[in-house]
Amino acid sequence: MPRPSARSARSPLLLVLPCLALACRGAPPDTTARRTLVDSRDTYDPRSLDPALSTDVPTGRAVSYVYEGLTRFTPDARLEPALAERWDVSPGGRTYTFHLRAGVRFQDGTPLTARDVVHSFTRALDPATHGGRADPLLPIRGAAAVADGKATVVAGLAAPDDSTVVVTLDRPLAIFPKLLAMPVASVLPAGAPAAIGDHPVGTGPWKLVRWKHDDYLLFARNPDYWGGPAESDSLEARIIAEPSTAVAEFEAGNVDVTEIPPDEMPSWEADSAKRQRLVSGPSLQLVYVAINTTRGPLRDVRVRQAINDAVDTKTILARLLHGQGRVAAGVIPPALGGADTTRAPYPYDPAKARALLAAAGYPAGIDVQLWTGATPVMVRVAEAIQAYLDAVGIRTKIEQRDYATASQASRRGETDLFLKDWYADYPDAEDFLDPLLGGRNAGLGGNVSFYRNPSFDALMARARVETDAGRRDALYRSADSLAFADAPMLYLYFYDHLFAVQPWIRGFTIPVIFNGQRWTHVSIARGPAPR
Amino acid sequence: MARFILRRLALAVPTLLGVLVVAFLLLYVAPGDPVTAMLGQRADPATVARLRAELHLDDPLPVRFARYADGVLHGRLGRSYVTDRPITADIAERFPKTLELAAAAMLLATTCGITLGVLSARRPGGWVDRLALGVAYLGISFPVYWVGLLLILVFAVGLRWLPPSGSGGLRYLILPALALGMRSIAFQARVTRSSMLDALGADFTRTARAKGAGEWRVVSRHALRNALIPVITVVGLDFGSYLTGSILTETVFSWPGLGRYVVDAIARRDLPAIQGSVLFLSVVFVAVNLVADVAYAKADPRVAY
Repeated sequence: MPRPSARSARSPLLLVLPCLALACRGAPPDTTARRTLVDSRDTYDPRSLDPALSTDVPTGRAVSYVYEGLTRFTPDARLEPALAERWDVSPGGRTYTFHLRAGVRFQDGTPLTARDVVHSFTRALDPATHGGRADPLLPIRGAAAVADGKATVVAGLAAPDDSTVVVTLDRPLAIFPKLLAMPVASVLPAGAPAAIGDHPVGTGPWKLVRWKHDDYLLFARNPDYWGGPAESDSLEARIIAEPSTAVAEFEAGNVDVTEIPPDEMPSWEADSAKRQRLVSGPSLQLVYVAINTTRGPLRDVRVRQAINDAVDTKTILARLLHGQGRVAAGVIPPALGGADTTRAPYPYDPAKARALLAAAGYPAGIDVQLWTGATPVMVRVAEAIQAYLDAVGIRTKIEQRDYATASQASRRGETDLFLKDWYADYPDAEDFLDPLLGGRNAGLGGNVSFYRNPSFDALMARARVETDAGRRDALYRSADSLAFADAPMLYLYFYDHLFAVQPWIRGFTIPVIFNGQRWTHVSIARGPAPR
Repeated sequence: MARFILRRLALAVPTLLGVLVVAFLLLYVAPGDPVTAMLGQRADPATVARLRAELHLDDPLPVRFARYADGVLHGRLGRSYVTDRPITADIAERFPKTLELAAAAMLLATTCGITLGVLSARRPGGWVDRLALGVAYLGISFPVYWVGLLLILVFAVGLRWLPPSGSGGLRYLILPALALGMRSIAFQARVTRSSMLDALGADFTRTARAKGAGEWRVVSRHALRNALIPVITVVGLDFGSYLTGSILTETVFSWPGLGRYVVDAIARRDLPAIQGSVLFLSVVFVAVNLVADVAYAKADPRVAY
């Protein structure tokens, strides 16, 4: 039986290092004098502080400190009003009327008006902004024409008065208010300077003070914030590329929150003082192997089911990820509506896998290539999968490339199996079902299984217009079940990220969605730092 | 000498033109699409097509090259696909940090390396020599990544003498400079030692001693000056490679230099950023080599050009 090894190649070194460090441990860090909250979750520099350029997590996070949209997410991923105090939906579900909050001012002092909202959305769509990805705004009528450079005015956007924005969609879309909580739909003043990417002006709780690229972004609280000023003076987002370095900064007391990579989990869990610092966040991340349903033997559903039955996902999760997550039985994370937590995952049953292969006409087994990026954890997971598949006669060759290369090959349909992950942009089951399994997304980044099932697509089309949340979740659940039986992927796990939070930090919760934590109610406790 | 420098400068032109072409073509044939890297996994085909057109990625190769070469000749390296900032501004912000780190590492390496080398050569087989040999072995065989993490754990996390990472004052410079300079210390100590041994055994040293010159004068004026010639070559090559981005050191110590910038640009297929940095770094490398050659000529008048 294949046994994945949990030991990393670096582990002998990592064993030596802490011993040396412990041998010369000095005084506890003097951090209580610090008045700046320091976050070190970012591993690379944000693209820009221009919301239109926000397509990745570090950018989206920084944008959410300075700017706000009409709606926003709470740390536990609920949607709540932000710049719009409330909104009405027309009976057909195509027209949304947003009523702006009164008395909101931008950080440059100008008052927020409906005109700013119309301008911000139009600007994000305008090709001249070089944003490129305004897809949350594309459901608005006439938005695509602006994005194509064929129009300068978005037909479906209107500002009948200073405090009202009327948005008309091409077709009803129940989750539209969630799309408006994404960073790209942030509101900036109509008269904003062209260099907004370096000199941002928003309505948010933090103002940018300094940005040293690849080093840190420093924010100071906005004293005039409509929701009341943040509890702490300032917030620093450190950019630390190497996770071990971020952990060292945490241990030196210089940063307040950091992510603990799976490699380091055992050493943290073994140390009682360190263990108390750990906080697990149920993240909206699915790790899966896309099975290209259009290639060779993989066209047969029995072969794809055999792949699922052949791999002991539970053991992979326990050994390689130290149990930080949940085995996936579908693509909807348990934290979201529509997830069926009672659905049983594919069992680990090599005999059944062999029988399925034989029934499909491959008693001698098949040959497949398994593509993966170069992240150490992913490479180890790929090696474990390879061993399990080999054991039932699915002879697997690992193709390890850098992520951009592997991803491009998968989009072109050149990969049999591709080990990858998917992060939610917004907390809704639709953001997993549609991009990963929707026929219209075949060949795009998520659905590199090239899965096309008209019944699945029909269920999703109904869910899109369904305004009742309960009925929508039921539709999501059915669609997920349908695809699960077709096995267009090897369902692996939902990874729960592990963070370390300093004991002197008050009021911080790990956000479920990346832009759900704005640090407004987080503070540093005074007094001696416990150690 | 002026003619020599001019000739070397003239020779640099075809080198840089070659770099221009190679950097352009390499990225053209390399897999990975900048647009999908920019847009993330969700991008729909219409958005991808729109952006490809906007970035002129679908133009024929010669047209793209001509546009690029024209920009470079006019001093424009273009704007980053990812950040929409001018590449020149990005380089101007990061290169001083790389220069600072490289200079500090080099200063450390030459002071420690040459001193160790001279001391070793004075008493071959003595305890200083054996210690220096040990240091050299460690310095050459330890990977910089590991040395970096070790330094952080001992001096920043354990002893709390220095900050673990980031940039700022001198305090932030010491650990990364040490990690980066370690190999050079080892290398220069070995090279200095062997050429010092040659020089100390040479006729001119015996003559100097016979004239009654003091030991310090013999070692520093007569032997060291001659022994330094091969060391200059080593220093020049090392400095050149430090300046062109000490990627691992910058990553471990979260140092905001050009090495990390290039790595990020490659991961995101930010073509203008990669091409611009490669071109810039080639210019730097050519310039450093030129300076090393001039220094070589200065140190050794026998070198005729």
